[in-house]
Amino acid sequence: MAVILDIIFSLVFGGALLVIVLTANDIANENYSLYNGDVVVQEMLVSTAELVEGELRNMGFGVPEKKQTVLEADTGRIKYLTDLDRNGTIDTITYYVGDTTELLQTQNELDRYLRRKVNAGMTAKVGVVTQWRLRYITASGEVLPTPVELDRLTEIHIVELTMEVQNPYAQLRRTGEVEDGQRGALYSSSFWQQTRLASQNLRR
Amino acid sequence: MTGKAALVFVAGFSFIIGYISMNLNNLATQATSNMALYNQTTASHGIATTAANVGLAKFYQDTSWRGSISQTMTGVNKGSFTATMADLGGNKLRLQSVSTYAVPGAGNIHDTVEVYFDSRKRNSFSMYAWMTDFEGNVFWVTGDTVWGRVHSNGNLHVNGKPVFMEKATTSKGFDPKAGTGTNKAIFKKGYETGIAQIVFPTDLNEIITASAVASGGKRYAGEIWVTLDPNTSANNDGTAYVRSTKTGPIIDSIDLNNAGFDGVLLGDQKVHVQGTLDGNLSVASLTDVYVEDDVLYERNPQLVTSDDMLGLVANNNVVVAHNVANNNNVEIQASIFTRTGSFTAENYNTRGLCGTLRVLGSIVQKTRGAVGTFSGSNLTSGLSKRYRFDDRLSDPTVRPPYYPGFYVRTYAITNWWESYRIRLSL
Repeated sequence: MAVILDIIFSLVFGGALLVIVLTANDIANENYSLYNGDVVVQEMLVSTAELVEGELRNMGFGVPEKKQTVLEADTGRIKYLTDLDRNGTIDTITYYVGDTTELLQTQNELDRYLRRKVNAGMTAKVGVVTQWRLRYITASGEVLPTPVELDRLTEIHIVELTMEVQNPYAQLRRTGEVEDGQRGALYSSSFWQQTRLASQNLRR
Repeated sequence: MTGKAALVFVAGFSFIIGYISMNLNNLATQATSNMALYNQTTASHGIATTAANVGLAKFYQDTSWRGSISQTMTGVNKGSFTATMADLGGNKLRLQSVSTYAVPGAGNIHDTVEVYFDSRKRNSFSMYAWMTDFEGNVFWVTGDTVWGRVHSNGNLHVNGKPVFMEKATTSKGFDPKAGTGTNKAIFKKGYETGIAQIVFPTDLNEIITASAVASGGKRYAGEIWVTLDPNTSANNDGTAYVRSTKTGPIIDSIDLNNAGFDGVLLGDQKVHVQGTLDGNLSVASLTDVYVEDDVLYERNPQLVTSDDMLGLVANNNVVVAHNVANNNNVEIQASIFTRTGSFTAENYNTRGLCGTLRVLGSIVQKTRGAVGTFSGSNLTSGLSKRYRFDDRLSDPTVRPPYYPGFYVRTYAITNWWESYRIRLSL
């Protein structure tokens, strides 16, 4: 009898432990996924933001005073002149975002590539963003309608950049947690920043 | 036995859970430290920008300052900076500011901001609607209206109520002083006296160099007659025909739109000019330029958008010729520059009444010349004046090809560069 009771209690105790272990494993995996997502997204955001902020701040460097610096200005695209490597030769830099259909393999339906092109060289993917919006502001504070008309490109003094990066991979939420019109996946790692970049070279 | 097993069991579980926790903590720390580093690099960048502004403030208080200043910040904002101002030669200067910001566990990080200056700036003489080195004893009188900037290195004489639509400046003063005696001039954008003289060039070297064949220009040793032909109504298809006598055969035909032509046509002797220009051209002479008939733009910039631009540059004088064509009104659309002489009309005091001389452009002369004579306010010989500034020339960098310019002392910022970090492989 005692042996049978030992076996029964062992099974109950062992089962409880197994449930605890499995639950702990689930929680650990979930947290690992979230934290790892945070790291990935923050690194993406920081590396992209540092590059874009740095380059846009130097927009117009080395360009003669009366020469037009910004060549194209749209919400998702900017093309401008600068002496990128400070060798006395003016370079043409283009930043633009691609279409969301380029990243169908990721769960996040909003992510897209941010691309950078120098002169006629290869286009490089410099980040994956879920939001990339440029606004152009004149010296008097007027926000120029986009795409900025050719004869108003020289009026641009400040470029406002809004950028959001989300985790490309999602945690699906329970049906009850999702309201009408909401996305069905949880992108816990979502970072957003807005910067107004005023290149001193545009203010000469 | 059971007790020992339980201890091992608990210790094992603790180890596993502890390991998982440590990993999770590491990840969380990585995420935080990533953003912290971004914050620290931003702070470092901010210090470098601050240093640049500190350096600029010091420099603009004393533009002779060269050397370094350093500062260490204490309190919440820790870090230090050094700003160094140095001559780069060729009228260029650079202010370089470097920040130092201590990052715990990663040593110091640095950011750099470099500001470049040009100690002088080149302006075109054509930015002035009217400029003289010496006004002579000619007065601005009631009825005179000048659109565009006016300057004289001498005195500006006023008798009555002339209107200056833009700023008027003199290196000496007004005679009599503005607002006193007969000087009732109206200055719509103000006036300034006693400003530094604008030095006339000692030669026409820039235009001479540009006239060389190797530079893409045209130069003729003898006296020449230049006729400007706009050809069709299309833009930028003008031609300049050159003759060695007034009615002789064409010795040269210049396609003004030819990419190989730099826009300079120079004669060592007198250059006579007339016609309608479609393009950009400077007609220059090492002696005098004679305007033989109307000189016009195909597209009048007062009426339509125009990229036509003409410079008439003479080492001595630009002269409105005394001939049949010019006996009944003359119109000149050009920027006129006389290095040692005047803009004048030939036989202005004996040629009889010749109507009105209309100039659209800019007139810059060493000595103010005459185009007519007056008795009171009545013209008795020569031409009456209607001068209008070409507003396109108000930008000091806009000028006909190789048109003479002058340097002004300035410490304008020409370029601004800030360091940044690239973590991506581009």
